[in-house]
Amino acid sequence: MVDTMNLDYILAMLYVLAAPLMGGLMVGLDRKITARMQGRVGPPLLQPFYDVVKLWGKEPFISSRMQPILATGYLVFIFTGLTLLALGGDLLHILFTLTLADVCLIVSAYNSESPYSNLGGRRELLAMLSYEPIMVLTAMSIQIVTGSFLVSGIFRYGTPLLLVMPAAFVAQILVLVIDMKKSPYDVSGSGHAHQELVRGVYTEFSGYTMALVELGHWTKTVFILSLISLFWAHNLLFGAVLALALWFAAILADNVYPRLNWKSMLKTTWLTGFTLILANFVVLIVLEVI
Amino acid sequence: MTKARLKSLWVLHYDCGSCNGCDIEILAALTPKFDVERFGIVNIGDPKQADVLLVTGPANHRNQRVLRNLYDQMPKPKMVIAVGTCACTGGVFHNCPNVLGGIDKVIPVDVYVPGCAARPEQIIDGVVLAMEKLAGKAPQGEE
Amino acid sequence: MNTETLVAVNIGLPIVSALAAFLFNHRKAREGIVSVTALTLIASSLLLFLNGGMELSPGHSYEMMVVALDFVLLFYFLYQGFKALNWQVVVLSLGQLVPAAYFEFVLDAPAIEAVLVIDRLSILMTLIINVVGSMVLVYALGYMAEHESHQVGRGRQNLFFFYLVLLLGAMNGLVYSNSLYWLYFFWEVTTLCCYELIRYEGTEEAIENGVRALWMGLVGGVAMIAAMYLANYGYGTIAIDELLAAIPSRYLYLAFALMAIAAFTKSAQLPFQSWLIGAMVAPTPVSALLHSSTMVNAGVYLILRIAPAIQGTYLTYGIAFIGIFSFMVTAIIALSQKLSKKILAYSTIGNLGLIIFCAAMNTPLSYSAATILLLFHSMSKGLLFMCAGVIENRLHTRQIEDWKGLIGRLPVTAAITMVGMVSMFLPLFGVLLGKWAAIGITATAPLFLSIVMIAMMVIGSSATTLFWAKWLGHFAITPMSGAEPAEEDLPAAYKISLYSILGLDIAASLGSGLVLNKVVAPIVSLNYGEVWDTGILVLSSQVGAFMILPLWGALAAVFIVGGLLYRSKGGVVKPPYMSGENVEGEPEAFRSTADGVVKYQIAGMFFDPEITEARWVPYSTLAGVFLNMMLLALVIL
Repeated sequence: MVDTMNLDYILAMLYVLAAPLMGGLMVGLDRKITARMQGRVGPPLLQPFYDVVKLWGKEPFISSRMQPILATGYLVFIFTGLTLLALGGDLLHILFTLTLADVCLIVSAYNSESPYSNLGGRRELLAMLSYEPIMVLTAMSIQIVTGSFLVSGIFRYGTPLLLVMPAAFVAQILVLVIDMKKSPYDVSGSGHAHQELVRGVYTEFSGYTMALVELGHWTKTVFILSLISLFWAHNLLFGAVLALALWFAAILADNVYPRLNWKSMLKTTWLTGFTLILANFVVLIVLEVI
Repeated sequence: MTKARLKSLWVLHYDCGSCNGCDIEILAALTPKFDVERFGIVNIGDPKQADVLLVTGPANHRNQRVLRNLYDQMPKPKMVIAVGTCACTGGVFHNCPNVLGGIDKVIPVDVYVPGCAARPEQIIDGVVLAMEKLAGKAPQGEE
Repeated sequence: MNTETLVAVNIGLPIVSALAAFLFNHRKAREGIVSVTALTLIASSLLLFLNGGMELSPGHSYEMMVVALDFVLLFYFLYQGFKALNWQVVVLSLGQLVPAAYFEFVLDAPAIEAVLVIDRLSILMTLIINVVGSMVLVYALGYMAEHESHQVGRGRQNLFFFYLVLLLGAMNGLVYSNSLYWLYFFWEVTTLCCYELIRYEGTEEAIENGVRALWMGLVGGVAMIAAMYLANYGYGTIAIDELLAAIPSRYLYLAFALMAIAAFTKSAQLPFQSWLIGAMVAPTPVSALLHSSTMVNAGVYLILRIAPAIQGTYLTYGIAFIGIFSFMVTAIIALSQKLSKKILAYSTIGNLGLIIFCAAMNTPLSYSAATILLLFHSMSKGLLFMCAGVIENRLHTRQIEDWKGLIGRLPVTAAITMVGMVSMFLPLFGVLLGKWAAIGITATAPLFLSIVMIAMMVIGSSATTLFWAKWLGHFAITPMSGAEPAEEDLPAAYKISLYSILGLDIAASLGSGLVLNKVVAPIVSLNYGEVWDTGILVLSSQVGAFMILPLWGALAAVFIVGGLLYRSKGGVVKPPYMSGENVEGEPEAFRSTADGVVKYQIAGMFFDPEITEARWVPYSTLAGVFLNMMLLALVIL
C-alpha cells in the first residue's frame, strides 16, 4: 500500500535527496558539540563536506576491484532503504535492505586482506548482531500494535508509538550509539579523531571509496533518526525533536564513556533490548491493548 | 576542490626514531589549548586516508623502509612535514653510524619545522604552510 | 500428455533408470541414462504443472506389489540391524514388521478409492524433486567421476546411482500417496536410500552414521504405523484426504501428532538432528539431494499436508514450537562450526524448522511463507551443497578457514557460491521473502506463547544472518598478490547443474510475484481463504509489502554506478596497511623482530567454547525429547 499521491512522492524524494546533506550537517554539528564539551572550539559546521570533497579528489587507491562496487552498494542500498521508508514502505523489509548494505561494507572490509580491516569487519558484524534484534523487535512491535509493518500504517494508527511502546524507544539509544560509532560501542571503527584498530572496518578505504562510505554512513544515521521520529508520527516535528534528543544523548554518552568491548556490547544490547521490548509486550497484553 | 583541500587536512603521524619530545608537542596541538581540529586537521592513523605525513626523529637503516612504505601508501596529493631538528637534518644524531640523517634522505619533504622540540605554534604554522603549498598557493620556500 | 502417464513416469522412470544404472556399470552408459532420465523428469514435472491435479487408483496388482515390497524392505532392515549389531534397528524393524503384517493380513485393511491424489501441493513437490533433483543427478555424474579418481577405484558407482535415482521415484510416490500405507512405504524407501547412500563409502564412520540415520528413520516408520492403526481404529480408513476432512477426535489428533513426529525424524528436527549432521560423511551429491533439497522435504511435506486439519489446536502450536525451537538452536550452533558441510547441515535443519513453524502456525500467510521457503530453500541449499562439493574436490578440505582467497583460485565456483550464500539470507532472493513472511506471522500465536516465539524467531534470525555474513566475508578474502585470477574450467556436469539451479533461483526470485500467484496461491487457497493477490512489483499482504523488484533495480544501479565510477576514477590496487611493515612481493606477510618475515594469521570468529557442539547438542537433544513428549502429552491428555 504505497502512497502514490504526487505531492507525497515529491516530498519523499526531496527528503531522500536532502538526507546526505542533512546527515553531513549533523555530523558537523556533532563534532562541534563534542568539541565544546571537551572545552575546544571545534571544526566549522561544514567540515564533513570539505572532508568528503577532499577525499573525492585524492588519487584512487583500492584494495581490489570489488571494493568500489561494494562501497557503491553500501551507499545505494542505504538510499534504497531510506527511499522505501519515505514512501511509507514495509519496515521489516527496509531493515533487511539495511542489512544488505551493511553486509556490502563488511564483505568489502574482509575483501582486502588486511588484519585491521578484517578485524574491523568482524566487529562490524558483531555490531550489526547487536542492534539488529532491537530493530527487528521494534518492527515486530509496530506490526503487533498497528497491524502491519507498513510505515504508512503508523501514521494511520491512533496513538503515538512513544506512548504505546516506550521500551522500544528507549532501546533505540543503543542502536544510535552503535550506528554512530560512539563510545561505549565504537568497537568497529570510530568517528574522526578516535582510532580503533587504526580505522577498523574503514581501514582499507581511501579516496572516492571512502567518500562513498562516508556519505552512506551519514544517510544511515539520518535513516535511524527518521525511524526514531516515527515514534511521534502525528507531529513529525516533535518526532524529530525526540530523535535529536536521543542523538544528543548519544554524543553525551560518547564523551562520558570509555570504549567497551564487543562482548559487553552484545550482552547489554541483547539483555536490554529483549527484556525491555518483550516486557512492553506483556504490559500491553495485560492492559489489553493488543 | 582547492578550498576543500585547504579546509580538510588529515594527518598521519609517524615517529621515526624520535625521543618523543616532538611527538608530545604534536599531540599537544590536538588538545584544547591549541585545538588544530578547528582547521579541519584530524589525526587519522591510516596512510590511505591521510594527506599529510608528520614525521619526527631521524631516519635510520631500519625505519627508512617503513617510512618509504607509509609514504607510498598515501594517495596524492600529499605533503610531508619534517617536525623537529632530528627529522630535518638528523639533529644531534646526524653523524651516528646507524643514522642516515634527516628524513629527506628517504622521502621528499615539503615543509621543515626545526626546533628541539618544535613548539606547537611552530608545528601549526608548518601545517598551514603545507596546506597552502597543497593548494598551490605558497611560495616554494621553507620555514 | 495425460496425467496418468506423467505420474507413471515420475514414479516409474526413476525405478527403471536406477535398475539400468545398476546393471550397466559403465561411465558412458551411466551418463546417458542419467541425462535422459533428468531431461524426461524435468519435462514431466513441467507438464504435470500445466495439466493440474487428479485422483488415481493404480489397481490391485500395484497395491499387492507395494505390500510385498514393503515386507521385503522391512526384512532387509532387520537383516541390516543384525549385521550392524544395532539393537535399535532390530527393535524398530520388528516394531514395524509385526504391526504391519497384522494390519495387512489380519485386520483386513480397508480399500481406498483414490490411492494416489495429485493436487497442487504434490505438483509443487514434484517440480522441486524433478528439477532440482535431476540437476543434482547431473552434478553427481561429474562429482563421482572426480571423487572416485581420488579413491581406490572401487567401481561401485552403479550402486550409488541406483539409490540416488531411485530416491526421486520414491519421493514422487510419497507426495502422490493418498493412502497412509503407500505413503509409509515410500517413506521407508527413502529411508533405505538414505541409509545406503550415507554408508556408501564403507568406512567405519560412514557405516555408523548410516545406521544412525536408519534407526532414526525407523522411529518415523513406527510412528507412521501407529498413526495408521489409530486412523483405522477411529475412522475405519487410511485415506489421507478423508482423514483431513474427518471430524476431529483424540484419535485423529494423536495420529497427526505421530505423523508429525515421523516428519521430525525425516526432517531432522530436534531431537533427531544428529543423523543429518552425521550424514555429512557421505559424498556431496547425497548431501545436496537427500539432505537439503529433496528427501528432508518429505517431512516438511507431511506437515504441510496435515496442517490445515489441525488449525487452531494446541497440537499445531506445539508443532510450531518444535519447529522454531529447532530453528533457533541450530542457528546458534552453526555459529561455531568450521566445517562447510556442517554449517550447511545446521542451516538446513534450521530452515526446515522454520518451514514447519510456518506451516503449523496455520494462517494463510504463514502457509504461503512455508511454501515459499520450501521452494527457495531447496534451490539455494542444493546449489550451495553442490558448490561446496566442487570446492572440496579441488581443495581437499572442508575447513572453511582453509577456503581463503577462492576468488583468485576458483573464481567461477567462488562467485556462484557467494551468490548462493547471499540467496540464503539477504533480500533480493526468495528465502528472505519467506523469512520476512515468517516474522510477520510470529505474533499470531496465542498471546503469551507468541512472546516466546518472537524471542526465538529474532534470536534465530540474527544468528543466521551472522553466520552467513561471517562465512561470506571470509570467502571474499582476496589475496593481495594482484595476480589475475586463475582460469577455471568447470566440467560440463558442473556447469549444467550449477548454472541451471542458479539461474532458476534468480529467475524465481525476480518473478516471485508470479510464483506467489501461480504456484503458491492455488495451494494455499485449497485449504484457506485467498491470501494475497500480489502485484509483480510489490508483494503486498496484510502485514506489509515486500518490494523485491525495486531491490533488484537498486542492485542494477549498484553495478552501473559502481562500474562507471571505477571506470572513470580507476584505482591502483595497493597492499593492505600493516603499520608500514609490508613485505615486497608477499602480500600476507609483515616484518617482525629482527626483520624476520612473518605471515599474519586471521582466524575466523567461532565463539568457542561458548557455543560448541559439545556444550549445546546434549541439552538441545534433551530439550527436543522433552518437547516431543509434551506434544504427545498435549494430545493424549
